[in-house]
Amino acid sequence: MTTTPVALARDLPVQRVMRAQVDGCDLAIWRGISGQVQAWENRCPHRGMRLSYGFVRQDSLACAYHGWHYNCEAVCHYIPAHPELQPPASIKPVTYSVVEHQGVLWVNTRNEAEVPEFPEDSIGIRSITFDCPLSVAFEACLAAQLSDEAGLSLSPRQLGDAPLILSFGNQQQADSVLLLFQPSDLANVVIHVLAHHSYSVDGRIGISQWCESVRRQAELNHEVAMNAGMECTHE
Amino acid sequence: MNNGLEYAMHDWYPVAIEGELEIGQSRQTRLLGEQLELRCDDSVCDASVCDASQRAGNTGDSVGTITIFSNGRKLPVQRAFNHLWTTLSEKPRELFAISEAQEPGRRLVPCGVVRVKCSPLRAVENFLDIAHFPFVHTDVLGAEPHTEVYKYDVRIDDTDDEVIASNIRFYQPQASKSSSGGIETQYIYRVPAPMAAVLYKTCPPKPEAMDVIAIFVQPLDEETCNVWPWMALYDDVSSMADLIQFQQLIFLQDRSILENQIPRRLPLDPKMEIPTRADLTSVAYRRWLKRHSAWYGAQISIDSLQNHSEGPNAHELAE
Repeated sequence: MTTTPVALARDLPVQRVMRAQVDGCDLAIWRGISGQVQAWENRCPHRGMRLSYGFVRQDSLACAYHGWHYNCEAVCHYIPAHPELQPPASIKPVTYSVVEHQGVLWVNTRNEAEVPEFPEDSIGIRSITFDCPLSVAFEACLAAQLSDEAGLSLSPRQLGDAPLILSFGNQQQADSVLLLFQPSDLANVVIHVLAHHSYSVDGRIGISQWCESVRRQAELNHEVAMNAGMECTHE
Repeated sequence: MNNGLEYAMHDWYPVAIEGELEIGQSRQTRLLGEQLELRCDDSVCDASVCDASQRAGNTGDSVGTITIFSNGRKLPVQRAFNHLWTTLSEKPRELFAISEAQEPGRRLVPCGVVRVKCSPLRAVENFLDIAHFPFVHTDVLGAEPHTEVYKYDVRIDDTDDEVIASNIRFYQPQASKSSSGGIETQYIYRVPAPMAAVLYKTCPPKPEAMDVIAIFVQPLDEETCNVWPWMALYDDVSSMADLIQFQQLIFLQDRSILENQIPRRLPLDPKMEIPTRADLTSVAYRRWLKRHSAWYGAQISIDSLQNHSEGPNAHELAE
């Protein structure tokens, strides 16, 4: 299991919680008032409620069901039904290693999160979910035409395979647009899109729209492949 | 491997509201994984149906007679608590009683149906829980900072074979449609069957009596259910639509929780989920299910099958 990008850091403001999936593992990712990010198994140890539906107060994540509060050490320190009770230290959600690096949140569900090297002067554009397997999404991104703001064509190269990173560049700008792939489960991929900071607002909007067209193509390719597969089974 | 169907198939389950189907109408539904067809026609109602309706305090004045088929087999039908009930069993257990259904002056309110993607047992357990009121039914059935669940009593009544929780009190901003401000509400809970629960709570306009609210759960399969809330209230003021709307609001808030609990089935392995003192009713409910091997909709680990442990041993349960 490798370190996986799960979100653009700016999409998780302080005192907010979000849900993410990594290879089928369901996560609650949250940021306390101090700014520190946590990545936990998305399940309250009390009654199994998904913690991503909870709420953040100061530096605690509280479950939406009964309001049990967990601090940054993943220790339950407050059970509202018993305000005087010091909860036993054994009540702990499962925690994962998470780091915030260059505007991206990275999680490792097995080991310490290690961030891959990638160009520093990029900024987050958006995260986009493709409703197709990783390989189909990757092929569609490789095949898609992309130009820079001057209209010069950008060509893709793979920067890493675990996590999978695709960089689009040309002679003017080596790493103009970056795609970071997050396989959320077997059927879905989230792609975190970054661009060189020199892009104008219109340029960033253009990249965002390009992502949507690539998504349409990828999902269409997947549908065609599935239908072809079904026809084969019928024969 | 026993999946609990052996116990579950001998109980009665609601499949429709009485009088809901018109003559000539039919409807498909499911029960314990079996496909059912309900047909309403104008034939004369047979003796077994009429007996059952009388026992449940219903007049049996509905326009048509309902016949229920499963794989071409005709299933038993009875009317009770404004619902039509059926069973897959040829020797079913007797349907539990709610004596308040016959009390004059009460309004009997079937509240419709809510489809929930969760185990029928999770739906019942949530109904027995009060600690979630301030967080899930905020400013209605509970509100911070009034979150404390005071000590209450739970027992398994061996005569009636029911789980009973009593002496429960909880602060509620708006306990019911008929209340006009915050009160400390008293509660009693009964679990007369694995997939049904009845509560008795302070009735704001009639302090000497208690309102009755129940959920009757129709297990479509182990991870999907129809919940049929039903009430027997002293409330002459609110319109039927308002009473139903209030209960539907509450139950839809519960659904947002129920469809996000992992796993979808109720874990009976005490190591899976950690209870606290406020969860004594749920702990007793899980024990009672285990005792009966009522495992339909439960998740049983190999571990808990081997040691036959009788439920959570969390240290905080000790006084």
